[in-house]
Amino acid sequence: MMKLLSQRLLGPVTLVLLALTFWLGLWVTPPDKVQGNLARLLYVHPAIAWVALYLSFGTATIASALYLWKRSRSLVMDRVAHCAVEVSLVFIILTLITGSLWGRPTWGVWWAWDARLTSTAILGVFAVGYLAIRRANDDVEQRARRSAVVAILAAINVPIIHFSVQWWKTLHQGASVFTPGGNFKVHGIMLTTLFISLAAFTLLFFWLLRARYRVEVVRDERQRVSLDEALAQRRREGVH
Amino acid sequence: MGYVVAGYAFAFGGLALYALSIWWRGRRAQR
Repeated sequence: MMKLLSQRLLGPVTLVLLALTFWLGLWVTPPDKVQGNLARLLYVHPAIAWVALYLSFGTATIASALYLWKRSRSLVMDRVAHCAVEVSLVFIILTLITGSLWGRPTWGVWWAWDARLTSTAILGVFAVGYLAIRRANDDVEQRARRSAVVAILAAINVPIIHFSVQWWKTLHQGASVFTPGGNFKVHGIMLTTLFISLAAFTLLFFWLLRARYRVEVVRDERQRVSLDEALAQRRREGVH
Repeated sequence: MGYVVAGYAFAFGGLALYALSIWWRGRRAQR
């Protein structure tokens, strides 16, 4: 049942929810009392940031830890971590772009060396470093081990990003959806759109991760077959 | 509204391009 859901329904449901987010965010929801139309960016920016920082990097960290843990050391975990970091990098870049497009008219600047923005950019640098390490190493085991360590070290930055708005005086606002008492600050169609966008981008993450994972499986298989063919060729040459 | 449209264009367009790149890499890997 779960397999059917993930194979057949994940793509169509994701597309429908993304289309709903687009339509509700741009046309149906009313402009905000304070921010006007700019509030519409809040239907995409927080959801993209949620995927970039928590979902993707969380997946990469758990998969990396499972890889390093000897009992579950498997290249499946290494592949999952690799794909999750790549997806995370794309979402981090989009988080910074959509945030910047909101910041320019609101704060008056495209970029500020604010704790939240800077720590998010640092996570992006870590993600680039992680992908660079993978490219620089041909030994499968060594590459998996080193990149898993980098992913876990980079994950230390995630709670720093999360609490940065509380620990430091930042230009970036604090919690936008909940009050400190746990009640919703947003209501009605605006809250519904926010939840739909969260669901849409969450499902999109799983869809992209699955597609990216399949590419890695095919690549690894091709590499293995070509290596076997090369070895067989060498053996034939040795016989003659 | 220009900033909002640009934000949605980057978000949805960027993700569509990334999805396209995965599909393209998958095709190349199968060749």
